[in-house]
Amino acid sequence: MTFLPLLFAIYVEGDDRDLAARLKRREPAAMGELYDRYGKLAYSLIYRIVRDTGVAEDLVQETFLRVWNRAQGFDAERGALGPWLLAVARNRAIDYVRSSGGKMTRGSLELEAAEHPAVFVNFEADVLSQDRARRVRGAMDRLNENQRHVIELAYFEGLSQSEMAERMGQPLGTVKTWVRTALKNLREELREKAITA
Amino acid sequence: MSCDELRDQYELYALGVLDAAERAELDEHLHREGDPCIEGVRRARELVSSLSSLAPESRPPARLRSKVVGMVGEPKQAWNWTLVWIVAAACLAVVAVWLNVSRHDEQRALARALLDMQGKNVELARLNEAFALMNDPAAKQLVFGEGAPKPRGRVFVNPKQGVLLLASNLTPAPAGKIYEMWIIPKGGKPLPAGLFQSQSDGSAMYLRKGAVDVALTGAIAVTLEPEAGSQAPTTQPLIVAAL
Repeated sequence: MTFLPLLFAIYVEGDDRDLAARLKRREPAAMGELYDRYGKLAYSLIYRIVRDTGVAEDLVQETFLRVWNRAQGFDAERGALGPWLLAVARNRAIDYVRSSGGKMTRGSLELEAAEHPAVFVNFEADVLSQDRARRVRGAMDRLNENQRHVIELAYFEGLSQSEMAERMGQPLGTVKTWVRTALKNLREELREKAITA
Repeated sequence: MSCDELRDQYELYALGVLDAAERAELDEHLHREGDPCIEGVRRARELVSSLSSLAPESRPPARLRSKVVGMVGEPKQAWNWTLVWIVAAACLAVVAVWLNVSRHDEQRALARALLDMQGKNVELARLNEAFALMNDPAAKQLVFGEGAPKPRGRVFVNPKQGVLLLASNLTPAPAGKIYEMWIIPKGGKPLPAGLFQSQSDGSAMYLRKGAVDVALTGAIAVTLEPEAGSQAPTTQPLIVAAL
């Protein structure tokens, strides 16, 4: 199975600052360039969440339109365009999964805050790099099954710890321990490798 | 709570999955200039961004690029649900101003309603497309699984609009697997026609948009495949609807 790290190497090397500035000036050609750079990443992420190719197409369009409409609030000099777009893509997909089938409505506002363009500033340049993606996958592989599962539930399904406990039929305290340990390991693994790199 | 005590919640905050009380507490820290939590949350956002690399690669259809670029190009005459959403949002915003909504909880309720509308908008658009496809006199209706314990349902093949599958008793695909639709030409090899998942109650609605040559199509089928999809079926079909 091919994972996104291979794609990251291809797409993130361009100058996102220039692209962001053109998006802010509302140059239609910039939209095509934005899609060429991040369209496949956004589609893959959305599809992983909604599991429906037709819906994924619709949500990719919604994602790019949202970024286009909100580019004015994005800091082209200090902002991280790719991470912002992928956050919007993830949130659109999770919102869709929540609203279809009337599963739950909790969390839309939290997601909204989590994708505000102003928060994607001063990111390290390698956040979407191939090397970091490989390290994330390696770190995930070293987690045990429960720890990996809770990270996937949080990231791909947007579940809170209470919702994870309900879904997994486990006590909340147990789930919190898994989440805390998993995130601590991921954090330390990435920091450690970054220092030694 | 101190920043040390909140450290374990930075990533959950960045993921947007903290419970309300925990989120409010961290929000307070983030509004204080120079608070150590600000740097911690920034790093957490970087980590969360990197998690996107966990999604397996999927290939978007070639037509998607022109759809995306077309949204900001020449205005279209066709019914545009995005435009409907924007107009609806604008109207609600005007109403909000008119009413001079000042209480914080009321503003939150309004924002929640707008966001819920947006989420349902995509679903509504899909349903409208499905109804349009079914109601078109040119659509051909096929029944599968009659009398069988599972799965069963109908397939509508519309030469201009595509293929719509409505199924029940289709158990959700297990982890790492997904359902894949195939359009099988008469005397030819199955052509991949998209991936979908069924709901927890076993129901599924999948719409594969695009023209279909009904005269040359022998059957529509569904198989269980690896979650990235396959270029040719790797398992026996669960659903076969012959034209």
